[in-house]
Amino acid sequence: MTARLTGRLTAEVLEVPDDPTALYELSLEGGWGDGVPVLPPTDDRVEALLAATPLDPSVVIGVLPPRNGVATVELAAINAALAGCVPEAFPLVVAAIEAMVVPEFNAFALTTTTSSVFPMLIVNGPGRDELQIDYRAGCLGGAAGRGSMTVGRAVSLCLRNIGGQRAGDTSRTVFGQPARFGLCFGEWEERSPWPSLAQRRGFDPGADVVTVHGGKGTFPMADVNIDDAGELVRMLAKCIAFPLNNWYLEPTGESGQLVLAINPMWAERFGRRFPEIESLQLHLFDHAWQPIELWPEANREILRSKGRVDPDGKVRLVSRPDQLVPVVCGGLGSLHAVALTSFCESEMQSVAVQRPPAAIGP
Amino acid sequence: MTATLRIRLPTAPPAPEVAAPSFVVGGPLAGLRVGLRHEGSWRSWMLITAVWQQLLEADAATPVMLQTGERVGAEGEATRRAVDQWVGRIDCGVSGLGTCGSCTSWSVADAVSVEDGGKPAVVAVTAEFETHARNMAAYLGHGDLKVLVLPYPLEARPEEELRAIAVEFYPRFLDLIGARR
Repeated sequence: MTARLTGRLTAEVLEVPDDPTALYELSLEGGWGDGVPVLPPTDDRVEALLAATPLDPSVVIGVLPPRNGVATVELAAINAALAGCVPEAFPLVVAAIEAMVVPEFNAFALTTTTSSVFPMLIVNGPGRDELQIDYRAGCLGGAAGRGSMTVGRAVSLCLRNIGGQRAGDTSRTVFGQPARFGLCFGEWEERSPWPSLAQRRGFDPGADVVTVHGGKGTFPMADVNIDDAGELVRMLAKCIAFPLNNWYLEPTGESGQLVLAINPMWAERFGRRFPEIESLQLHLFDHAWQPIELWPEANREILRSKGRVDPDGKVRLVSRPDQLVPVVCGGLGSLHAVALTSFCESEMQSVAVQRPPAAIGP
Repeated sequence: MTATLRIRLPTAPPAPEVAAPSFVVGGPLAGLRVGLRHEGSWRSWMLITAVWQQLLEADAATPVMLQTGERVGAEGEATRRAVDQWVGRIDCGVSGLGTCGSCTSWSVADAVSVEDGGKPAVVAVTAEFETHARNMAAYLGHGDLKVLVLPYPLEARPEEELRAIAVEFYPRFLDLIGARR
C-alpha cells in the first residue's frame, strides 16, 4: 500500500540501512525496540495508519507516565508501524491509549510499581474477526492473530517509547510478565450466555470497544470432576481468593477488578445455572474469601487494623460482586479457566474505537 | 552503495524537568505540628513513625498522623481529601514509606502535596527505591524534594533493630526538614 505523503509528520527522521537486521540492531541500540525485530516506520506506513483514524496526527491522545511523554496520534502511529499494525487496527491502539490515560486507570502507579502488572486489552465488537483479534483457542497467547499480537505490542511500545516505561529503570517491576510484550484478546461474544463485557459497560453491541485492565498475570485453574455449576464457581472463587492475592495488601477491597476468563463450554453450563451475569458474580463474591485464621498473626493484625475482617472471621477478596468480571473466551476443550489477577489500584477502562466516516460500512 | 530508508523516531522527549520551590522550617522544632504519613502497609515504617511520634512529643512538637487509603475510585477521592486536610493541619511532615514502586510514587506524591502547600516535607524511602523516588519527584516538578534514605530492606528485621534505626535516623529527618531540637 502506498499512502499519500502530506509532509505533515513532525517526528525526528532517521536515515537507516534498508536491511531488516540492521534496523533490528538499531532498535536495540537506540532503546526503542522491545527485543523483537521491528518493522520500519516509514512515512508511507505511518501515513497509512493515520488515514485509518479521524484524528489529526497532532492531536494529543494523552500524557503517558512515568516520564509524562506526550502521546500524539502521530507518535502512536509510528509505534504501531514499528509493531506491524495494519491500518484498520490502528484505531484500537488509539482507543487503548485513551483508556489508559483516564486517571482512574492509575497508569502512573501501574508503570512504576514492583508488581508485574501491565495493561491487558480486551476487545469487543464486530471487528474482532477482520482484525484477527484472538478470542478462541490460545487467545491469551499463541494463537498468533495479527491484530492481537500487533495491537498489544503497539500499546506496549507506546508505553516504552512515549511514556518512558522501562523495567529496572523507571519501572520497578520485580518480575515483569509476558504481557509486557503486549496482551490483547477478544471476548467470544457469540458463545457467551450473557451480554458482552462492552455491553455491560454501557456500549452498543455494534460498537468496537477496547477495555484495558491492569492485570498482574494469568492464573490458571482446571477441573474435570465437579458436575454442579454452582460448586465449580465456588471453587473458582476460592482459587481467585488465594491468600497472597494483592487485594489483601490493600487498604480496602474497594478498587480494581479481576477478569475471569471462562471457556465457552463452562460458560454454557454456568449460563444455565446463572442466567443473569450478576447472579454469577454474586456467587463468586459470596465465596471469594478466606478465614482470618489462615494468615500468620502479623498479617491478621494488619488485616484487622484495615477493617478487612468480617464479624464472622471472613476476609473478603473484594468489596463488591461487580469487581469480579467474567469474560467468555478460549478454546472448546473446556477444563480450564484463567484469572487475570488484579493490581487492585487501577480501575478498568473502556473506550469505543473511532474510525473515519469513510471506513464505516453501511 | 547501501540502500537506505527514512524512518520516524518512535520516542517522545520526556517532559522538561522543573524544580518547584522547596521549603525548610529554619527554626526550632518545639511547638511545630509535624505530620507523619503511612499507608498502613509496611509494619517497619509504622513502627518507625510510632517511635518518632514519641520522640517528637519529647521534643515538644505535636505529631499529626495520617494513614492513607486507596488511591483510585471513591476511596481514592476520600484519600485525596484526607491528605489535603492533613496538609492543612501540619507545619511540616514526612511521607512514607517508599519501598515498592507504587508506594514510593504515592509517598512522593503526598510529600509533594505538602510542599505545594508551602510547607517543608521529606519523603522517606529505602535505599533500593531512592533513585525511583528522585525520578518521581522530578517528574512531578519537585526535583529538589528532600529524600530521607533508610536501609534496605527494612521488612523482616527484629523490632529492636527497627527501633534503633528509628532513633538513628530521627536527627537526619530533622536536619532535612530544617528543624532544630
